[in-house]
Amino acid sequence: MDMDEVLKVFIAESQELLQQMEEALLMLEHAPGDSDTINAIFRAAHTIKGSAGLFGLDAIVAFTHIAESVLDRVRSGELRFDAELTALFLQVRDHLGELVRLVDEGIDLSSLPAEVQPLHTQLGDCLSRYLPSTDSQSQLRATERIERGHEHGLSADHWHISLRFGPDTLRNGMDPLGLFRYLNTFGRIVSLVPVLDRMPAAAEMDPETCYLGFEVAFYSDADKATIDGAFEFVREDSLIRILPPHSKSDQYLELIRALPEEDMRLGEILMRCGTLTATELQEVLHTQVQSQQRAETRPIGQVLMEESLVQPPVIAAALQKQQQIKDNRNNENNLIRVDASKLDRLIDLVGELIIAGAGAQMTAQRCGHSEMQEATEVLSRLVEEVRDSALPLRMVQIGATFNRFQRVVRDVSREISKDIALSISGGETELDKTVVERITDPLTHLVRNAMDHGIEPADKRMANAKPAQGRVWLNAFHDAGSIVIEVGDDGGGLDPQRILAKARERGMLNEGQQLAEKDVFNLIFEPGFSTAEQVSNLSGRGVGMDVVKRNITALRGTIDLDSKLGQGTTVRIRLPLTLAIIDGFLVNVGQASYVIPLELVEECIELNSDEPFERGHLELRGQMLPVVRLRELFEDDSPRPRRESVVVVHQAGLRAGLVVDQLLGEFQTVIKPLSKVFSACPGLGGFTILGDGTVALILDIPSLLGQLTRVSEAPQRARIEA
Amino acid sequence: MNASPRLLAGASAPAGQYLTFTLAREVFAVEIQVVREIIEYGKLTGVPMLPPSILGVINLRGAVVPVIDLGVRFGGSATVIGPRTCIVILEIAQDDGTQVIGMVVDAVNEVRELAAGEIEPAPSFGSHIRADFILGMGKLDERLVVMLDVSRVISAEDRELLGQAQHLAHASGTS
Repeated sequence: MDMDEVLKVFIAESQELLQQMEEALLMLEHAPGDSDTINAIFRAAHTIKGSAGLFGLDAIVAFTHIAESVLDRVRSGELRFDAELTALFLQVRDHLGELVRLVDEGIDLSSLPAEVQPLHTQLGDCLSRYLPSTDSQSQLRATERIERGHEHGLSADHWHISLRFGPDTLRNGMDPLGLFRYLNTFGRIVSLVPVLDRMPAAAEMDPETCYLGFEVAFYSDADKATIDGAFEFVREDSLIRILPPHSKSDQYLELIRALPEEDMRLGEILMRCGTLTATELQEVLHTQVQSQQRAETRPIGQVLMEESLVQPPVIAAALQKQQQIKDNRNNENNLIRVDASKLDRLIDLVGELIIAGAGAQMTAQRCGHSEMQEATEVLSRLVEEVRDSALPLRMVQIGATFNRFQRVVRDVSREISKDIALSISGGETELDKTVVERITDPLTHLVRNAMDHGIEPADKRMANAKPAQGRVWLNAFHDAGSIVIEVGDDGGGLDPQRILAKARERGMLNEGQQLAEKDVFNLIFEPGFSTAEQVSNLSGRGVGMDVVKRNITALRGTIDLDSKLGQGTTVRIRLPLTLAIIDGFLVNVGQASYVIPLELVEECIELNSDEPFERGHLELRGQMLPVVRLRELFEDDSPRPRRESVVVVHQAGLRAGLVVDQLLGEFQTVIKPLSKVFSACPGLGGFTILGDGTVALILDIPSLLGQLTRVSEAPQRARIEA
Repeated sequence: MNASPRLLAGASAPAGQYLTFTLAREVFAVEIQVVREIIEYGKLTGVPMLPPSILGVINLRGAVVPVIDLGVRFGGSATVIGPRTCIVILEIAQDDGTQVIGMVVDAVNEVRELAAGEIEPAPSFGSHIRADFILGMGKLDERLVVMLDVSRVISAEDRELLGQAQHLAHASGTS
C-alpha cells in the first residue's frame, strides 16, 4: 500500500469533514442544542482523530482528543453550545485545517512549526477550561483519556473489560488464568462471564487453540494505563476493550458495536456489558414469554424499550449492530473517489470519439452504403449516450460552495459590526467542477462587496423602515444552457448619479455622454473604478469588480447588475454549464462553417430575398428583430446565394437574427480551447473540429448579441434619456 | 513581456542549431528549440475580424493551432502560396504556459549550426524589420540572415489583437 496515496485520501477526507464541521457549527448558531448537528460535529472530530492516529500524527490526535472530550460533554448535556463555545470551535476547526494543510505540505508535525505552536497551545488551554478539573494539561499529551466520575454514567462502579483472545494465545505461552491473577494484584474481579461462542464441536476442537473470550467486571483504583498494561503481551492478536467505571451509555454502545459475536442474543449482550442486571433481564424475558402467549413475537429489544429498562440509544445500537452484520458489505462502496485528472482524460477521449464518430458518419453518407449508414447511426447514438453520461461525472452541486459563504458572512459581519444574514437557494444546481472551483474567488468578492458597501448600517436601515438585520442572498438556477448565479443584497443600492460623477471624474466618460441606466451600472466593472468613499479592510481599493469581470469572462461567462436605489443590488453571473462539449447548431456562410450553441437557437426562418431588411431590422410576427448578415459582419466577400436563412438566437432576454447561407443541423461540438492569440477576439467562442477534419468557429452568441442589440437600441435609449 | 535578458545586456544571439527558411526571397533563422515540427501547407480555416497577419487556424491532429503570416507581420505583402509553402509549428514558452503557433514560410531550407563567431549583434537600424524582433545576424555562406526572436514577434501579435479587440468593443459600445 502506498502511504502517500493513503495520506492524500486522509487529507481530502479531513478537509471534507472539517467543512461539514464548519457547516454544522454555523447551523448551531441558529439552532443551538440540536443533537443531530452536535453529533455531526462529534463524528467529524472523532473520524479525524481516528485517521490521524493511523498516520501517527500525534499532534492532531492529541488536539482533536481534547476537542472531542469537550464535545462529549456537550453531547451528554453538561455543556451547551453558546456563542462563545461555537466561536472557539470555529477556531479549533480552522486550526485543524491548518494542521492538515501542514501535513499536506509534508511538514513533520512531531515538532509543530513556530507559527502555529502558540495558537495550538492557546486553543488547547481554552478547550481544557471546558473540561472537568482533572489534570487538563496532561490531556494534551495523552492520546487516551480515562473517563471517570461522570454524574451521568451508569450505576456500575467497576471497570468493564471485554476480552477475546486470539487463537494463538496459548501457543504463544500466555495463560488467560495468569492474566486474571495479575489483575487481582491491583484490584478485584467482581464477576467474570466466559464467552464460548467460538468454541467448535469437540471433534473439531484443537486443544492448542484458544477459543476463549471473557466479560470481566473489575473493581480497581488503578488507572487505565495500568490495567491496559496487564494485556500488553496478548494485545497483538486479541480484542481487548476496557471501559472505565461510570461509563456513559454510549460508551457501552460502542463496545457492543466493537464485539465480534454475531449471533449473541441481545439480552445477553446487554447483561454482559453490565447494562442490565440478571433480574432485569429475567423480567424482560418474562414479559417476552407473556407476549408470546398472546401470539405476538416481539423482538426482545422492543420489549426492553417498553419496559424502560434500558435507555433507547443502547437498544438502538444493539439493533443497529444486528442490522449492520447483514448490511455491512453491501453498503460500503456506494461512492467512489476518483482522481479528477482521470475524469478529464475520459472527457477528452469522449470528445475525440465524437469527432471520429462524426467523421465515420460523414464517410458513410458519402459512399451511400445503407447498411454502413445504419451502423454509424447506431454508433453515433451510443456515442451520444456515452457523452451524456460522461459529462455529468464532472458536474457538482454548487451548494457546497454556497455553504462556505455562511462562514464568510458570519466573520465579515462581526468584523464590520453589521447584523447580516445569508440565505441560500438553488444549492442543488449542478455545474462543471472547473467552473465551481474558479467561481469561488469572484463570488467571495461579490459577497464581501454586498456586505461592506451594499448593506447600510443598522440605524440607517431603521430610518429607512427596513429590518435592522441586513440580508444577503445567493441563488443559482439553470437558464437556456447556462447557469445563473445571483448575489443579492437588500442594502442601499447603487446611485447612478454618483457612478456617473465618478466616471467623469476619472475620465472614463466624456462630458455630455449619455448612457442607459444598465450601462451606467456596468461602469463599476471597468478597471480602476470604486465608489466606496472610505477604504475599508475588505474592499474599496479600486481593484475588484474589474477583476471579477475578467474572471467571469475567462470562463466564457457574463456578468451584469440590477440595482434600485434604497432597495438593494443584484449581481447576476451567467456561466456555461460545461467547458468541454456542447450541443451545437452548424451553419454555413460561404466556405466557412460556424457553430451556434443549440440552446441559444430559438428558431430558424427562411429569409425572403424580395423582402430586404432595412437598418438591420426584420419584422417577425409583429416584433422588430435586430438582424445581421454574418457574411457582412465577418467581411466574407463570396457571392451571396439565392436563398438565405435567419437563425434567431436568444439569451438573457435579448434576441437577434443571424443571416446565414445554409443550415446544416445539429452537431455535437467538442470545444477546443482558444489559443491565447484569440483570447481577446470578440464574437469568437472557441473552435471545434468537424468530421472531415476542418476547423469550425463557435460563435460567442452573448457577445454578438450584446454588440447587435447595443448598436440597434442605443439611438432609441439616448432619445429617452435626453 | 518576454524580454530576453541577453538582448538587454547588449549581447548577441547564442550559438547553436538554427532552422533557416526563406520568406519573400529573404533568409531567416530561428532557434531549433522553438520549432516543434514542419508541415505541408494544408487546409486552413479563416477566422473573421482578425488582422490580416493572422491567416487562420489549422487542425493539427486534433488541436486547433493559429497560423500567422510573417510577411504581413513584417509590413510586406501577403505570402503567396506555392508548391514549397510550409507551415513551421513553433512552441514558445511564455510566462503563462506554452503557446503553439504556426507560421507560413515560402520554403524551409536547412538546419545549420551557427558558431558564436558567425553571429553578430542585431543592427539598430537599416532593416525593414522592427529591431526588437531580431536576435542577431548570422553569417551563412557569406550571406547575412536575420535571426528572429519569435517570442517577441508573437507577443507583438497578441498585443495588436488585444488593442484591436478593445478598439472594437469601444466602437460598438459608444456608437
